[in-house]
This record gives sequence, C-alpha cells and structure tokens, in this order.
Amino acid sequence: MNSLTLAIRQEAARLLEEKIVDVVIGFEAGTLPLKAQPAFITRKEEAEKLVFNGFCQNNLAAYLTRFPKEKRLGIICRGCESRAVRALVIEHQHDRDKLYLIGVPCTGIIDWRKIERRVGENTLQAREEGDEVIVTTRDGEHRFRRADVLHDSCARCLHPNPVGADIVLGDPLPEGDPERAWAPVLEFEALPPEERYAYFVQETGRCIRCYACREACPMCYCTECFVDHTAPRWTESMITPGGTQAWHIVRAFHQAGRCVSCGACERACPMDIKMTYLVDKLSYDMMQQYGFEVGASDEKQPPFAAFTLDDRNRFVR
Amino acid sequence: MSDKWTPRIVVFQCQYCLYSEADQKWMDTQLPPHIKLIQVPCTGRISPLFVLNAIQGGTDGILISGCQPEKCHYKEGNLGARRQLDAFRRFLTYLGLEEGRIRFAWIDVSERGRIQQELAGLEKTIQAMGPITRLATRAIPVGEKR
Repeated sequence: MNSLTLAIRQEAARLLEEKIVDVVIGFEAGTLPLKAQPAFITRKEEAEKLVFNGFCQNNLAAYLTRFPKEKRLGIICRGCESRAVRALVIEHQHDRDKLYLIGVPCTGIIDWRKIERRVGENTLQAREEGDEVIVTTRDGEHRFRRADVLHDSCARCLHPNPVGADIVLGDPLPEGDPERAWAPVLEFEALPPEERYAYFVQETGRCIRCYACREACPMCYCTECFVDHTAPRWTESMITPGGTQAWHIVRAFHQAGRCVSCGACERACPMDIKMTYLVDKLSYDMMQQYGFEVGASDEKQPPFAAFTLDDRNRFVR
Repeated sequence: MSDKWTPRIVVFQCQYCLYSEADQKWMDTQLPPHIKLIQVPCTGRISPLFVLNAIQGGTDGILISGCQPEKCHYKEGNLGARRQLDAFRRFLTYLGLEEGRIRFAWIDVSERGRIQQELAGLEKTIQAMGPITRLATRAIPVGEKR
C-alpha cells in the first residue's frame, strides 16, 4: 500500500468524524485486478476501504451532480477532477462551500486495455512499484514501464495538479507539455478531409449507443439528454450511421469549452472508440479564439455562455 | 453527375432579420423551389442540431441569416448564436465536411439585395463542389426520386 492511500484514508476518516462532510467519494479495490471502483464512504470505519493508485479509472466529479445540493461531499480530486468540479460549481451544480476537495497530484491512469493487449485476458494480480507496473498472469510476471501503459489522455495531460483543493496530499508534479497535448488535434487536422471523414465514420461505426461515455462524463449531467427525447426526435435512435454520427458530433459539441480532457469517455467505452480527438479540437478552438481553458479560473463562464459585443468583428462570413 | 442537378439549399432566417421590405417579400413569395426557407424567432433559436439534421438529410448548402450584432430583437440572442454556430461549422469542417457548405450572412436593413447576392454566391460555391456526400447519411442520392 502506498503512503498516498494512507493519507487519503486518514483524511477521509477525519472529515467524517468531525462531520465536515456527509459522504466521501473515492475509490476502493474492485473485484478484478487493474480496475478499482468508485466508493461512497459514509462512516469513518469504512474509510479503511479507500485506495488510490493508477488503476482508478473513473472521473469522480461525475458523481457530484447525482447527490442533492444539501449534501456535503468530500471528493478525492486529481487534476482533471478538480477542474471538472470547478466547472460544475460555475454552472451552479453544487455549492462550493458544501464541497471538500481532497487534492491528489496524479501521475496518470493505467490503461488496462494496453496491458490486456500485451499479456492477454488472464491477469491475476497487478500492482505498481515506482515507475513500473507489475502484472501477474498464469504465465508469470510481466513488468511494464508506467509511461508505456498510461492512458492516452493521461500521457498528454496538461495539468496533473489539482486546482482549488481544500487540502493537497502528496507532492506537486511538473505541468504537462502543451505541444504534446495538442499534437493529436493538429495531426488530425493536417490530414486531407476525406481521410478525416473516413476515420470518423470508421470509429463511430462501432458505436452501440450504450451511452457509457455520457454516464462517465462529469460534464454530462442533463436530466434528459437530446438522444432520449422522443418528441421531437432529434436524431435516429438506432445504431445507423446517421444516429451514431449525430450522437458523437453533438455529444462532443455540447462539451465545447467545458471538457476537462480527462478521457473518462474513452475509458468507459466498451467498443474502444476513440473520441477525445473530437472534443480536444473544440477545446483547442476555445483556447485559441477566446483564451478560455476549463478550470483555469473560479468565475469565468464558458465561451458559449459569455458572449459580448466585442465579438462583432470576429465572424465576417 | 447529371446536368439537371440543382443544389438543395436551406435558409435559416431570423424573423426579425432586418431585410428591407422588398427583400422580405421576395423571400416569402418568389424563392426558387430548391431553396427552403425556415424562419426562426432569432438566430439564437437555431440549435446546432437543426444544422446537423439538415446536413444529414441531404442539404447541399445552408445559409444562416441573422441580424447585425447590436441589432438583435432579443438584445443578445445572435451573439450567442454567432459563437456557437461558427464553432459548429468549424467542427464539421474538422470532421471532413467541405468548407463553404455552411454560410453566414449578418444582414442590416440598409443592405438591400444582399440576401439574393448571398444566395447566388452560396449556390455558385455548391455547384462547384457537387452534391453533398459526407455526413449526409439520410440523403436520397442524386437521380433517385425524392
């Protein structure tokens, strides 16, 4: 067990004992190796269940909107989660003074798919040791460098340190490299249009419309999603090309200027569909055009909510 | 492609859009049959879903016409629309849609005849591009009965 897990358990127990929060949202060991699962701790004794490691896949900020506003929540916040919480507070989804953010600088999430592709499906045990991930299967022990098996979104993470946390456990990490973060968008943009469209069609073609990406996303909290409307029906509700393409286009577009680039959508996808290249383009545009970055400020509204007459000469055609 | 192909065009028009009276009358009564007019209360009412549905349904070109920034009937409806729809157009271009299929016109009452110019300009661009192929999943191919 790492020291971070211990510190988190202590802090969670303290928060519950002193009645600062009603629930602590964190991670506990899952039933399968390589996959920790979200845990909702309400009693101090249960704090012993909490773990924290590179196998914690979910974005915990997604659970913030599922609690009533009166609940005082303690959330374990990595960089992306803390930015999502900030964005949600700006959008009035919870009161900031009813939240207690336990900040944890994050070294990245390990992509179980990358490991499964290398060792097969028979993983018995997995643990981290410094910069290495050690996976035990029936064939024996496999060692991987962390950097090789990080999730793509984490490998190009810009801000691994939590923002606006009430307490930060662990040492701050160096910030990410913007060039690396935006490289996939710029590379995709440089392709000829027909190749871009072909890639989009190929990726969306696998979609089974399970909406796991929506459920995993901290910013997708509408009580009724546009795809669930039946009157009027906005898009085809089947897995036709039209339906899946519309879902991926509009899902991404609704995240414009709100996405925190945590990659939870891709990790949740059972069909392994690449989709961060869609929202990343919108985030890139928002940064280039309006100088807006999610979570950079406590009060700045996202670009689509904050428009001014200063825009007047921006759109000529 | 046959010579008889005429592009299908959809015009989203803000109903307060300050066309001069003659232009508005032309829009209401003399619009050619391949151009569909959809009037909305304000450009702010145009959800990107409207645009996407038009494209998926096989529209070859879209013209979105709204008021000048400070002339919005609802004060700032068009400001929000400008940000959203512009970003949406760029996003569709990123996914491989040809540039120029979606066009904006922010028209003032004094600009008489501009809407005709914009429509002619759009039609010329679309004629050069040919019928829409990408993203038009519900389109009926050219040549088949509509």
